[in-house]
Amino acid sequence: MPHEPGNMNNDAPLLDAALADFIQHHVSINVATRDAANRPTLTRALGCRVSPDRRRVTLFISVPRSEELLRDLRANGTIAVVFSRPTTHQTIQLKAGDAAIVALEDGDRALMAAYGASFVEEIRQIGYRDPFASAMVSALDEDAVGVVFTPTAAFVQTPGPAAGQPLRS
Amino acid sequence: MTVTLDSIRSCFEGIVPSVIATCAADGTPNVAYLSQVHFVDHEHVALSFQFFNKTRENVLANPYATVQVIAPETAAHYRLALRYLRTETEGPLFEKMKAKLAGIASHTGMSKVFRLQGADVYRVQAVDCVFGRESTGPVPRPSMLAGMRACSRRLSACTELAGLLDETLVCLETLFGIRHSMLLMLDESGERLFTVASRGYPESGVGSEIRLGEGVIGVAARERTPIRIGHMAREYLYGQAVRQSFQDGAMAPDLEIEIPLPGLPESRSQVAVPLLIGQRLLGVLYVESPQGLRFTYEDEDMLVILAERLAMAIHLIGQHTEAHDEAASGIAPKASVSGAPAVIRHYAADHSVFVDDDYLIKGVAGAIFWKLLGDSTGGQRAEFSNRELRLDPSLRLPDIGDNLEARLILLQRRLAERCQFLRIVKTGRGRFRLQIDRPVRLIETPAGERR
Repeated sequence: MPHEPGNMNNDAPLLDAALADFIQHHVSINVATRDAANRPTLTRALGCRVSPDRRRVTLFISVPRSEELLRDLRANGTIAVVFSRPTTHQTIQLKAGDAAIVALEDGDRALMAAYGASFVEEIRQIGYRDPFASAMVSALDEDAVGVVFTPTAAFVQTPGPAAGQPLRS
Repeated sequence: MTVTLDSIRSCFEGIVPSVIATCAADGTPNVAYLSQVHFVDHEHVALSFQFFNKTRENVLANPYATVQVIAPETAAHYRLALRYLRTETEGPLFEKMKAKLAGIASHTGMSKVFRLQGADVYRVQAVDCVFGRESTGPVPRPSMLAGMRACSRRLSACTELAGLLDETLVCLETLFGIRHSMLLMLDESGERLFTVASRGYPESGVGSEIRLGEGVIGVAARERTPIRIGHMAREYLYGQAVRQSFQDGAMAPDLEIEIPLPGLPESRSQVAVPLLIGQRLLGVLYVESPQGLRFTYEDEDMLVILAERLAMAIHLIGQHTEAHDEAASGIAPKASVSGAPAVIRHYAADHSVFVDDDYLIKGVAGAIFWKLLGDSTGGQRAEFSNRELRLDPSLRLPDIGDNLEARLILLQRRLAERCQFLRIVKTGRGRFRLQIDRPVRLIETPAGERR
């Protein structure tokens, strides 16, 4: 079961420094939302930024490729995001109920470009070559928005016996 | 942009990981990686159920899901809107996915962790292309249609079963670049397949057997469904499966009459396709490669069409020869016989035949061989017809036209490989004689006695 905010030590953010670093580069990021009829959709995110207090995560999302997802987020703020590092299979999922669409901030485009370079470098290491590898992040130059949320639950999804467990118990 | 499921089948090869979004009854979404999205047909996919996890809990409560798959050629992303229908725990789809999963698990060293509990079948409600600067064209491959056309023409020219079987395997190599292949036929018990032709192996393995349900070949036969796997699946390595079955107690006495199945020691891609006339199983066409992910959906399509074409040709040749076989007539010139006599033993219990203590053949082919030997060495007969064998009550041949031909091919090939002083020589349509170049001594062991 997900962690309820009330069960946690209110002083500590859900993301520790290592996790906050983990989710910002080299990982594949996929985001799910759902509509009023509980029909889910998903999209690939183009990197993210973690706030200095590690309580908020802002995902970078291509607008033309994520119409349904953005429509869902305007109607409700529930979101699930999976981060997975291709070379290690280390995977975590974050969930939140307060996701909101925001404009990109100054510097976000540079963060997206750096993220894209790190991800392409990562998948080249496991054998994906160009033009495939660069095409995986071809949305980087498209119209984009931020989707900001406060993670309230985190789950380990690295393949193995602990898959599906809450990140900390 | 809406696309058809058929046109994006390369997405389901498992080369780029897929992701699934589901939603709990309380409205909480979930997003997770998938080990396998299996293409079922133009409007269905199946997902492997290995563990009871959040994804599965969600779809049982709320059947809607969205899967994102990625084309390995272009990195184009596709979103599939799915609705969960049912879980299958046996049958062709389940067995196919189990075989494929065994391949993946073996490839990733996770054989113990990955066990298929069910095949979750989903209807695909929509397919949308979402990502994609389609930066590269498809990888050029030999044209399957052109190859199939040439192959079909070459098979049409075959008038005899032996030539048809060999030509099929030649076509696989020359037209499709598939260098390791074999054809197996169902035996009279309906429980085993025996190899009648192979290509690309040091030993032909003609006469080797595999039980229905064993390995990729046996499962394809039992389930009457093609099976394609892209990595070496230790659980399904048919050689091991065969050996295992011979090693277990009940079969132990048969070890001495085992002919090793041909096969690659390091097989990384395998396809087994049943040869069917309607639902009647004739045999299996099997191909393999030392290269991982060698066979695509297109190859599977081609092999299934070829198997249908071949099964129909086998069936027609069987019917044709039955109607047109000539009766045997006359007595062939006496062959010159010299050298030390060979001792040929026949064990009535299973019709196994040993030449100078070396195993040659058994079953229906063994019974036919024993009859030919007896009649030939008796002096009066030297020529035989397929028709008389088919009608001979002592042989009790199954009432199926193509069966006798396959047995004679098996006998002819085993003799050519193991026993060169005995040969089957064709003398006309459906007629042949047994050429004996050495004196032979025949010893019969009655059914009550064992080897």
